[in-house]
Amino acid sequence: MNGFDHKEGYQASEVRRMKAQYESGGLSRRQFLQGLMATGLALGTATAIVTGSRDVRAETPKRGGRVRFASSGHGPTDTLDPQLFTDGIAYTRGRTHLNNLVQFNDDLSVRPELAESWEVNSNATEFVFHLRKGVTWHDGKDFTADDVVYTMNRHMGDESISKAKTLVAMVSEWKKIDQHTVKASLSSPNSDLLPTLATFHFKIVQDGCDDIPGYFNKVIGTGPYTCEEFSPGVRSIGKRNPNYWREGPWLDELELFAITDPVARVNAVASGEVELASTIDTKAFKQIDDAEGVSIFSTKSGQYVDIVMMLDRHPGNNPDLVQAVKLLQNRKRLVRSVFKGHGAYGNDHPIGEAYADHCESLEQTELDIDRAKFHVNKSGISEVELMASEGIPNGMEFALLFQSEARKAGLSVDVKKVPHDGYWGNIWMNTPMHLSNWNMRPTAYVMMELAYAPHAPWNESQWKNERMGVLLEQVRAETDPGRREDMFCEMQGLIRAEAGTALPVHLNYIDAISDSVKGMPRVPLAMLGGCEWPEFIWLEA
Amino acid sequence: MMFRMIMRRLGIGVVTLWVVSLLMFAGTEILPGDVAEIMLGQEATPESLAALRGKLGLDKPAALRYLEWLGDMATFDLGLSLAGHSGTGGGGATIEVLIGARLQNTLLLSSIVAAISVPLSVTLGLLAAMFPTSLYDRTVTFTTLCLVAVPEFFIATMLVLILAVQLQWLPSIATMTDFESVWDMLRSLSLPILTLCFVLLAQMSRMTRAAVLNVMSSPYIEMAILKGVPRRRIILRHALFNAIGPIVNIIALNLAYLVSGVVIVEVIFAFPGLAKLMVDGVQVRDMPLVQACGMIFCATYVVLILISDIASIVSNPRLRHPK
Repeated sequence: MNGFDHKEGYQASEVRRMKAQYESGGLSRRQFLQGLMATGLALGTATAIVTGSRDVRAETPKRGGRVRFASSGHGPTDTLDPQLFTDGIAYTRGRTHLNNLVQFNDDLSVRPELAESWEVNSNATEFVFHLRKGVTWHDGKDFTADDVVYTMNRHMGDESISKAKTLVAMVSEWKKIDQHTVKASLSSPNSDLLPTLATFHFKIVQDGCDDIPGYFNKVIGTGPYTCEEFSPGVRSIGKRNPNYWREGPWLDELELFAITDPVARVNAVASGEVELASTIDTKAFKQIDDAEGVSIFSTKSGQYVDIVMMLDRHPGNNPDLVQAVKLLQNRKRLVRSVFKGHGAYGNDHPIGEAYADHCESLEQTELDIDRAKFHVNKSGISEVELMASEGIPNGMEFALLFQSEARKAGLSVDVKKVPHDGYWGNIWMNTPMHLSNWNMRPTAYVMMELAYAPHAPWNESQWKNERMGVLLEQVRAETDPGRREDMFCEMQGLIRAEAGTALPVHLNYIDAISDSVKGMPRVPLAMLGGCEWPEFIWLEA
Repeated sequence: MMFRMIMRRLGIGVVTLWVVSLLMFAGTEILPGDVAEIMLGQEATPESLAALRGKLGLDKPAALRYLEWLGDMATFDLGLSLAGHSGTGGGGATIEVLIGARLQNTLLLSSIVAAISVPLSVTLGLLAAMFPTSLYDRTVTFTTLCLVAVPEFFIATMLVLILAVQLQWLPSIATMTDFESVWDMLRSLSLPILTLCFVLLAQMSRMTRAAVLNVMSSPYIEMAILKGVPRRRIILRHALFNAIGPIVNIIALNLAYLVSGVVIVEVIFAFPGLAKLMVDGVQVRDMPLVQACGMIFCATYVVLILISDIASIVSNPRLRHPK
């Protein structure tokens, strides 16, 4: 093949890729046009392609139809209780039957949902929410301030089993002002409370639900679909709520279940058995591309995989070794080969490009065998053990790539593959060096507070940095955008330089959807556009 | 005589169940982590762990938890699933709810597979024994050996690729939902049925052939041959009845496998059955759920082996009148 052919092939495939993205709503008209011209097309040609493509953002939704969604996992732990939600299928069920106070836009700003409007005082310690009137629960009861107060109190106190209670630990009281007004008083400022309340675990449940027998077996919500059936590890069914308080939903019925086997899941979506399938293995891209009427749905996100070196024990207590491991990450090859381009370079801190507060000015760490060799020699360590598991996305490939680069610098890495069940309880934060992965959080502050604050229980590398603690405290109360930006940059730089985490890549969420599915949202926080789709999608015949 | 034997065997069966429950309890206890840790996962904090453990009764000593479970079991109360229990508005998913539909699914699939594969494999095996070393026998032997040697996940995946993805004749998953007719149900179950039939056919027909040929070499058959009785008559009238014992035994073992051991087929076809439920139960350390599944599997084995023993005794006068 000559060079010319090769270039033509590249251009054609780029045009096809961008056209598909535009037609599924992933690119605006302007971005699409600019992208086309960046591949070397003339303005006239590019405009013709844009005009020839369907602009989905201008399409009107159609009512009717039934959609089946195959998630990647389910089991006896399936629950409809928002405070215990763990995985994509639970988040999706939350969006199917319930509502939040506020809701994410694709860029992670928030818009009103059950709260019609709100007021925040100047130092972000008092939030007053005005609730929407005329909203009813699936059983006909009116939605009121009591429901909100009850829901929020489930996340508070020592008795709470909520998975999200640390996120709202600074809220000292939720108070009902009148039937449709609620006030949250905070013991310390938190300018990120609104995005926090838009996340999965803060879906609003009915007042007193813990004492209603069987409430969570067939959850009663205010959401777009009523819960017709829920059997853990088998499936759940949602039927359109005819009394929904806003426009939509469009489908008559939704069936949510999981096909745990990755190959079977790809087969099911490729043969039209299901309309949406989550978490597509990179090895299956070709099969999806070849299948008629199905496309990859890839959403840029801040989720990441990393190597944790616990700084309080050997070998992580040796700063040279930590440096060497960061320098030994082959980020280019990880993104290109292991994740097939569906990812972005990580810079050893958790705040990737998908975050609004990503710091652009930090220098990107690159693979540098010579410098790594210097640090390995200086550390005097020639052998380390790394725990890895299949449960971490592409974890084995990630670990083995690191192993092969490390060998070049004279560091021998013994990769130990361990089963994923019990991984978070026994391996994570218990063994000196292991793989970890984190979902994206709604804001840079929440992410760093959870995983890198000196007092954070999930500070996985035991990196206790006082300056980091001070900055986190300050940024929470800071409202000046310029000063906030400086602080966020300083924190990202601190983590990059000193924390015991080598973080080489941010992963996209990669799912597959039928071409008949329209109106997919693109919230980057979880699979399939943040699991926000049940309310918004419709079927195009 | 027969009645006493059955009662004694059932008594032994109950003891077996108890021993198995003890082993399974010990097994789930030895595994690292508990259901609270697994449910809270990466987000676990010491306080929320303690709160959830208290709620689930996991703070009690292991021996006490076992005795409580045993007490419930004695009154046929399978108890609450730990995993489904927390935060379920005071209701809690009972084990019956989790197991109920799946047990039906599993029994349905097993009976269809058995109804197809048992008569077919016995016939294939008998025919092969009737004409040993013939072309027919060699073909059956070769094909069945090939099928036995190929793992079932490979057979299943190939069937899906060819029949569901390429030709689009049959559905690729069998989620057991919304059947409009029996035909509809059979169509949706066809790929798992086909896969399991392939797996069972091979073993059962091989064993039938071997058992019959084994009897064929005994002195009284030689006598019959010398008398000039036709081969077909020897096999159907004399050899088959004496070979029933081993054949029924292998059928019983295969049927028990269908109920408890088809995890891989259940996973590949997303079929909501019992075997996968038990694996999930172990993964989340849900002791009552694991125990309940284990008891069902163990009871299936006990009953099927009992039936096969009765069948051998009925078919063999020597066993009916032990000295």
